[in-house]
Amino acid sequence: MVFHFFKEENVYELEEARKESELKKIKRKREQELEELRKTKKELEEAKVVLEIKVRARTRELREQALGLEAQIQKRTKDLEESREFLMKTLKETKKARELAEEERSKTLSIINNLTDGLLVLDKKGKISLVNPKAEEFFGIKSKDLIAKNINTITVLTKFKFLSEIFKKGFVSREEFKISEDLILEITAAPITSKKKTVAVLIILHNVTREKKIEEMKTEFVSLAAHQLRTPLSAIKWTLRLLLSGDLGKISKEQRDFVTKTYDSNERMISLVNDLLNVTVIEEGRYIFSHTAVNIEKVIKSLLEDYKKQIKDRKIKIIFIKEEKIPKVLADEEKICLAVENLLDNAVRYTKIGGEITISLNDLKDKKEIEFSIKDSGVGIPESQQKRIFSKFFRASNVIRMETEGTGLGLFITKNIINAHKGRIWFESQQGKGTTFHFTLPY
Amino acid sequence: MAKKILIVEDDKFLRELIFEKLDSEGYEISKAADGEEGVKKAGEEKPDLILLDLILPGMDGFEVLSKIRENKELAQMPIIILSNLGQKEDIERGLTLGATDFMVKAHFTPNEIVDKIKKVLG
Repeated sequence: MVFHFFKEENVYELEEARKESELKKIKRKREQELEELRKTKKELEEAKVVLEIKVRARTRELREQALGLEAQIQKRTKDLEESREFLMKTLKETKKARELAEEERSKTLSIINNLTDGLLVLDKKGKISLVNPKAEEFFGIKSKDLIAKNINTITVLTKFKFLSEIFKKGFVSREEFKISEDLILEITAAPITSKKKTVAVLIILHNVTREKKIEEMKTEFVSLAAHQLRTPLSAIKWTLRLLLSGDLGKISKEQRDFVTKTYDSNERMISLVNDLLNVTVIEEGRYIFSHTAVNIEKVIKSLLEDYKKQIKDRKIKIIFIKEEKIPKVLADEEKICLAVENLLDNAVRYTKIGGEITISLNDLKDKKEIEFSIKDSGVGIPESQQKRIFSKFFRASNVIRMETEGTGLGLFITKNIINAHKGRIWFESQQGKGTTFHFTLPY
Repeated sequence: MAKKILIVEDDKFLRELIFEKLDSEGYEISKAADGEEGVKKAGEEKPDLILLDLILPGMDGFEVLSKIRENKELAQMPIIILSNLGQKEDIERGLTLGATDFMVKAHFTPNEIVDKIKKVLG
């Protein structure tokens, strides 16, 4: 068993050597690992430094950011405060504006409600949207019974008949409508627009019943006064004429002269009454009656015939210049005749003996008008008084001194006649040299 | 035979003046001082022509005119209105009611009135 033992001893040695080498291996490995660890540690330490630097940088950055944020927040806060203040102010102003608007509204409403004229508003579909108390009173109907009603449903009532005409026209200026026996309204209607579109029609109802009654009474009075004045004037005229024509016996030359002068004075009185009548009728606005095709040339020629004696007596030369063909005008012949006569009468009266009167008649084709002018070589109108030449009862100072007859109504009447025919009238005058009157009439 | 003219005129002096003039011209004259009398005399006397004033006490000239024209016998009788009314409405109303002519008193002399009468009577 020694062998065995030996063997055993050898095994042991071998075992030892192997262990040792193993240990060495392990040790080397450990050392290697240690080395690695060291290396790792170094790396980590390096990384730590880098990290620390980064952290510091980030911290700085964050701190800076934090500071920036704070500034921003402060700024934002300030902004918000300002906005709040502004909003409060706006709110206050809005409240004020609303109060003002309400005040305005109540003002308007009180105007509408207390207006002495009636008001109606029709919307564009023809429905009534406003009725003020005066309008209620005119028609004897409550606003609530009219509001939102279509005109078609109410115009069946006679008193509302006028509405359909007004709604159709959309615009009416001071037209008279007889609503009932004792109610005459002067109606004005105007469109209410929004963004250039008509949204409603405002109708203003003005009660003119009383004025109409007064007007009627005035007409009656004037007609009566004219009658009363004309009756004695006619008696005087006829008596003097009978005296002059020898119907009442022979009279001496001296007597004849006196009676002739009295007759002429009476004629002036008659023409004054006529002028006053014309003025009254002009003022009533019902002066122009019929419109017929009037030949102005004929009117002038017949007037010249009437004035033949006066023209001859005063040795006045008449020149009549006219274009070949003068169109007829649609006019009230009697009134046009009066207008021309007044101008001719003035021209003849104020032109000195041996003077000249030029009458011309032109066709202003582009304007579709005829122009009449009459140029005299008379006394002229003083410049300072030219503005008043067409006013009622006006007579120029130089003319008054001449002791010529005249009522101061002729040119007033003439102007009104021409205007009523939509014509124009004007003049040029130089004192001492003469005057030219022009008028136009559309055709 | 002299033609007969009826003068309907309320003013006595004017009536006399026309009477004198027409009388001297050889006409037979009848006079009425108001509308009622005028209508009555027109029917009874059947004159050849009537000179009619318009503003008359009571029944006015326009009424006289329509009353006369209502009477078939008098429908063609010449009636000249001789009045101091002379507004266009008055003239138109008179002519519409059947007047033969319309003269404003103050605008005509007695001779002119006679001329008109002669013309109307032919």
